[in-house]
Amino acid sequence: MNNRTFEQRLEILADSAKYDVSCSSSGSNRRGAPGGVGSTAVAGICHTWTADGRCISLLKILLTNACIYDCAYCVNRRSNDIPRAAFTPAEVVRLTMDFYRRNYIEGLFLSTGVTRSADHTMEQLIAVVRKLRDEERFNGYVHLKIVPGADPLLVAEAGRYADRVSVNIELPTRQSLALLAPDKPRESVIAPMRQVSGLIASAREERKKSRTAPQFAPAGQSTQLIVGATPESDREIVTLAEGLYRRLDMRRVYYSAFVPGSSDRRLPALPTPPLLREHRLYQADWLLRFYGFAAHELLDEERPNLDMRFDPKSDWAVRHLGLFPVEVNSVEYEVLLRVPGIGVRSAQRIVAARRHARLGEAELKRLGVVLKRARYFLTAGGRYLGGIRLDGATLVARLLAPERRPARLDQLELFPETPDASALTGEL
Amino acid sequence: MTACYRYDGTLEGFLCALALCLESGGGEAEFLRPGAESGAGLFAGVPRDVVTERETALRFRERFVTAVSRDAFATLRYAFHSEAAGVEELLWRYVLAGLKQGKRLERMLAQEPVCTVNRLARAVSHEAHRFTGFVRFREVAWPVGDSWGEGDGEKGTTFLYARIEPAVDILAFIAPFFTERLNDRDWMIHDLRRSQAAVFNRETWRLVREVELTSPPGYTADEEVCSRLWRSYFQRMAIPERHNPRLQQQLVPLRFRAHLVEFGGEES
Ligand code: SF4
Repeated sequence: MNNRTFEQRLEILADSAKYDVSCSSSGSNRRGAPGGVGSTAVAGICHTWTADGRCISLLKILLTNACIYDCAYCVNRRSNDIPRAAFTPAEVVRLTMDFYRRNYIEGLFLSTGVTRSADHTMEQLIAVVRKLRDEERFNGYVHLKIVPGADPLLVAEAGRYADRVSVNIELPTRQSLALLAPDKPRESVIAPMRQVSGLIASAREERKKSRTAPQFAPAGQSTQLIVGATPESDREIVTLAEGLYRRLDMRRVYYSAFVPGSSDRRLPALPTPPLLREHRLYQADWLLRFYGFAAHELLDEERPNLDMRFDPKSDWAVRHLGLFPVEVNSVEYEVLLRVPGIGVRSAQRIVAARRHARLGEAELKRLGVVLKRARYFLTAGGRYLGGIRLDGATLVARLLAPERRPARLDQLELFPETPDASALTGEL
Repeated sequence: MTACYRYDGTLEGFLCALALCLESGGGEAEFLRPGAESGAGLFAGVPRDVVTERETALRFRERFVTAVSRDAFATLRYAFHSEAAGVEELLWRYVLAGLKQGKRLERMLAQEPVCTVNRLARAVSHEAHRFTGFVRFREVAWPVGDSWGEGDGEKGTTFLYARIEPAVDILAFIAPFFTERLNDRDWMIHDLRRSQAAVFNRETWRLVREVELTSPPGYTADEEVCSRLWRSYFQRMAIPERHNPRLQQQLVPLRFRAHLVEFGGEES
């Protein structure tokens, strides 16, 4: 399979890698070192965006797209009739360095199909990143995929070289996993996650004692869930995500709208990928991570799925109208965060500015706070900013009216990207 | 009457002008870049020429940092590079407010001039951040008889050359970033709009003004291969079922594309 040109193989392996959503280069802060090449920026840097509006930050590539497994949702599954190709570790290293020096990328995100065995495959991945770090003295970002079922010693080695590691859960429940990925028992996915979470925590402890203690995946671990391939509700998904954040200290959970067309008969036939649902899940995810919401506040048995008409924060607020309006000059920061339309940065600016001056509508605008939705939930100096008092139904109509959101959205749109407050923009 | 100062257009020069303003009592002031005319027309006084001295500029910075804070000075610096009309006068008011209010200045977010200064500073820092991603280096062979980089480029070797056309003046912010990141090659980032360049010789970078290329850059054979690989990789990464060129255009506005290899920019 390797008698193709380099460019042809690059195309095949890129094609096979592109369905992995994660491309973030954030969470690691490493200065350049003399004699080495590269550095990392804690906020991450996007270098370009493809025709589907997704950011390219890392060279996302597979070492090989050949695979002995047959996961129904995956283009690389054994039973899928597609061209196969492979790179040698040296080829990936060269490509990474060439792209990095031209500032196309922040680093490498390396994944692969499983060949021979999980251990053998993991060793191949580690060989690449070892070469990059030791031979090329590469200091840029590396995200390494952990192969489910790989030996714990190999997992530990991977984290010593990589900034971030990930194991994709892919499916929210044991049953779905058993049905669609028969070769990957749930334990083989969860066990390395647990191990990584433990290693990250202990490396962090060691670093507290000594600045020179070795790091372990300083940018943490992430995972990915496919949305819409199996019947789980949003509630199951959001609750799972919450558990991953709280118990495994996951840095990011990515949601990937299931792209139909892979003709495996174990899968549903959707007309298009459920992009709006994916978008709403990202919004709910943000509420968990940065806005102090708990999963059960957003969804419960009666309402197991997110409202597709508007964002989950507005949805929550409309169901809790009794708590509003709140006074912008005095309300606690935590409550301010729950006002629809007020993001973390706006809330921070409000809290800083109101220590010095009383805020009215004009001041809020000067701070750059967008009042379009927020005004219905705020008073400023005792004056209600929404005009006439609204009941629930009218409010819903008002909130919906201006939101003519196109169905195709990306998580990045949630907050306009700016360089400051990086941890809050969702790049993390 | 409004005092009028003519300075060399650099941040250092501007800081010296500010120091001079303070010395002469701190009244209303107008600042002129080289070639600019006073807005006061007939009533304009004779502009004073400001001498740019590093020492004076540093002393002024120290004074402001002590009185207000390091962050406030950083804000001033970013805002200055916005090149917005009247930004000098705005910053002069910012400095006066800072010397009076001290540390409180930074929290006066909802008041002028702090609010506008912050907005300008954010715009510059945003543009600089974008270009940490959008700069595209291309490998170029040293032209024969060239003198860039003070003779560091021996013939037969190569260096990395990038062209940008940012909306505001960001070289001073991105050059240190690339200095740290790419310290094993000579490179040059050329701001075509302002005809200036950041030039790095593997040790330090410096700003060179009035840079004009006399001939088109000669890309190396490796460069042609690498940029072709990048273009085809870029094409492949898009998922057809998620096609969304409008979102793409929002994220990579057209003004950036002329120099982005993956958008076909700079094809020679
Ligand atoms: S093991 Fe990985 S590459 Fe192989 S089919 Fe499953 S998801 Fe795809």
